[in-house]
Amino acid sequence: MTSRDDIEHLIARIALRDQSAFSALYDATSKKLFGICLHVLDHRGEAEEVLQEVYIRIWHKADSYAVTGHSPMTWLITISRNLAIDKLRSRRAAMTTLDAEAVTIADARPGPEASAISRSEHSAMSACLEELDTNRADAVRRAYLDGDTYKDLAHRYDVPLNTIRTWLRRSLMTLRDCLTR
Amino acid sequence: MTGPDDTYGDKALAAEYVLRLLDQDAHRAFEARLLEEPELRALVLDWEQQLATLAEDIAEETPPAHLRGAVLKTVATDPAAASRRGWFTGLWARVLGGGLLAAVAITLAVVVVDRREEQGPSYRADLISADQSISLMVRSGETADALQVEVAAGSPPDGRVFELWLIAENAAGPVSLGVLNASALTSIQVPEALLAGLATGTLAISDEPPGGSPTGSPTGTVLAAGQVQKI
Repeated sequence: MTSRDDIEHLIARIALRDQSAFSALYDATSKKLFGICLHVLDHRGEAEEVLQEVYIRIWHKADSYAVTGHSPMTWLITISRNLAIDKLRSRRAAMTTLDAEAVTIADARPGPEASAISRSEHSAMSACLEELDTNRADAVRRAYLDGDTYKDLAHRYDVPLNTIRTWLRRSLMTLRDCLTR
Repeated sequence: MTGPDDTYGDKALAAEYVLRLLDQDAHRAFEARLLEEPELRALVLDWEQQLATLAEDIAEETPPAHLRGAVLKTVATDPAAASRRGWFTGLWARVLGGGLLAAVAITLAVVVVDRREEQGPSYRADLISADQSISLMVRSGETADALQVEVAAGSPPDGRVFELWLIAENAAGPVSLGVLNASALTSIQVPEALLAGLATGTLAISDEPPGGSPTGSPTGTVLAAGQVQKI
């Protein structure tokens, strides 16, 4: 297991264009980041494309890592998740006429309930999500991990679009209060 | 959907931005604000950090072996990467184009002054950012190896410090010369072992956590760099 400090050090060396540090970072983190890409996209080919983009982004942005103040894994996860969501959105934009089908595909995945089993108990986020109504906690997870839009969520929970926004924003604020207390 | 829903203000808006729930117009408008508003950036970073924990328990998946080669090849063909020389070029590239949100391109000016003839070799380097917000002067003091560093303008980001690095021509990487006092003069004694490298080296500053880089290498953004002039 590569420690947080090890990964941070690798990123610092990558900022100085150290290729051996880059391959070491790939070896230490690609399984985790590929898992995230695959989870969001649920499509191996697309996940592979995105994983490449992720590492190219890391190579070029390593110098700005420290400015974020993030832990190294937070930084890597955020890049991966965001690029995967971008890919997901561009796929969806390309198949807007097949909207209903897209929703069906999304439904076929194991839901947040299934992945909840292995959720780490010490994560403050998990603990605070537990305090929310189940549907609301799932909506937050679906937005972050599955790239659900307000439209997807409104459809899924069968509520009007404006209502879902108010509903989710309120949940996010409850979450924030819990996380900061 | 685009209109601001003021009930929860920017805190909720930042979360929606991080979750990618805003529509295209609202997303762009938010990004424009991010460039100008540090408190908004802090909210975004906070949500990114909290939400990333949701991904902690996603199962690892081994990517196909060919992908590793493809990724490494992309980087190997990066002209900035090829060699030590390239490593040096990479530094310049970062000084010119790096930084959070590509906010400010920083360049530097090296000012050459008249040779001082009455004493032994002495060194100087000037680091000035393009927008004049950061400016540092490095000068030999009583002796060539006693550097006086003055931050003439600019300060590190909140909660960060400036750290000075020597990048000698043949060195494997930057060597720390110490953390700088951002509001006054800092005296730095260059170790004898590094003195030979100083003459033809480059000085750079990065922003680091208080006390300096925990790793011995720069972990923050390289904000400015300047070649050492022998005078």
